Amino acid sequence: MLIDFRYQALNPIRNNVNWLLRPLEYIMMAPRNFFEASSDYFTTRGTLDQENRQMKARQAELSLLANQSEYLQVENDNLRQLMDLQKQVSFKTLPVEILFNPPNPISQRVVINRGSSDGLKLGNPIANGDGILGQVVRIYDHSAEVSLLEDRDFAVPVQVARNGLRAAVFGAGRGNPLELRYLPVASDLEVGDILLTSGIDGVYPPGFAVAVITRIERNADKNSSNVFCVPVAPVNRYRQALALLYDPQWNAKASAPTAPGTTPSSAPGRRQTRTRGMQ
Amino acid sequence: MIDFQSGYILRPVNPAFIYFSLFCALLLNLLPIGNYGWVPDWLILCMVFWNIHQHRYVGVVWAFAFGLIMDVHNSDLLGLHAFSYSLVSYIAISWHRRITALTVLTQAFHLLPIFLLVSLFPVLVHWVLSGQLYWWALTGALQAVIEVMLWPLATRILLAPQRRPIDVDHNRPI
Repeated sequence: MLIDFRYQALNPIRNNVNWLLRPLEYIMMAPRNFFEASSDYFTTRGTLDQENRQMKARQAELSLLANQSEYLQVENDNLRQLMDLQKQVSFKTLPVEILFNPPNPISQRVVINRGSSDGLKLGNPIANGDGILGQVVRIYDHSAEVSLLEDRDFAVPVQVARNGLRAAVFGAGRGNPLELRYLPVASDLEVGDILLTSGIDGVYPPGFAVAVITRIERNADKNSSNVFCVPVAPVNRYRQALALLYDPQWNAKASAPTAPGTTPSSAPGRRQTRTRGMQ
Repeated sequence: MIDFQSGYILRPVNPAFIYFSLFCALLLNLLPIGNYGWVPDWLILCMVFWNIHQHRYVGVVWAFAFGLIMDVHNSDLLGLHAFSYSLVSYIAISWHRRITALTVLTQAFHLLPIFLLVSLFPVLVHWVLSGQLYWWALTGALQAVIEVMLWPLATRILLAPQRRPIDVDHNRPI
């Protein structure tokens, strides 16, 4: 256990066991999938009709927005070039399906059906239409494990959408609201503020919704405030999601060459405290 | 082997049935039910049963191997379940003489500490490694209680092949 915790030296064993185990897991998912498929099959025509109408309205709305955003993108690129700022990194997305939620009292993870053979990398964020769900923390050939936002001490650097205030959102365990830590009392926050990824860590692309503030407890004695928020994306509801194939930007300037002796960093998503034993 | 419940001598066990039942228990553990603490660990129930009744066929090595598989499935530290399963199966094997002589309900109560140990082990290890104790994760104790309640059922199902009568007279049933 200690060897796995400190050095991750046992990954080959894990990969082999996983290779044997995954087919069995797929077999055992069959009853649930069959049940879901049959309940989908028997939805009424009325529901489908209604859903179709909603989808069309949404589609029209989105295509309008997309047209506008393309124009804005070009304008933004030109302005950035004028001001000599670094270009926004573009990235691809990969549709993934959440297979199951492994029973584990400590962590809150899901297993998805894409792995390194599909171009997924360690540290890639997983999102759905509403916002960020989590991050890939362990990767196999054809599957990967994703740590969800609710996972204890899972941190995402965010920015308040209203005023650009930077902070970090931390998970607080299953079923508990997320926390916004390390903020002074006087910081300008309101209930209902939307938190977007700030992108300063280089792991998450900027501008994705993460959470909404639901409760603020200001504590003047200790000059700190407890801020609680809930994830924007329904973390435990849907089976479909998108992996953002965003290349982690380790250097503040991509063009600056790294010094030969220094490795950029260890695996993304791992906290530095855990890698202490490796040096 | 003597069945202490009925006093009759049981038929010899079929090793294929042992391994088949362990495999089925593993499959039941892989069911995508979700991350709930109370879902019973079928594998450890089956494993402890065979450790107590047929420790020559299912020993610590099997417990270790199945534990490793569960570690990978649960995305735990590699070795967490492997260690707890082997520890528990060692305890079960060393208690097997005492436990087989009891009635099924008393057996269940004697097995409560074993199931509690295996349910709470991940939480305790995490406590030692990171210094944080998750009180809400201790709901795993419920899992142990459910497993204890399932013990009479497991005895009935897993001993059924051995309780078949030795010679059946088809002409005169009963």
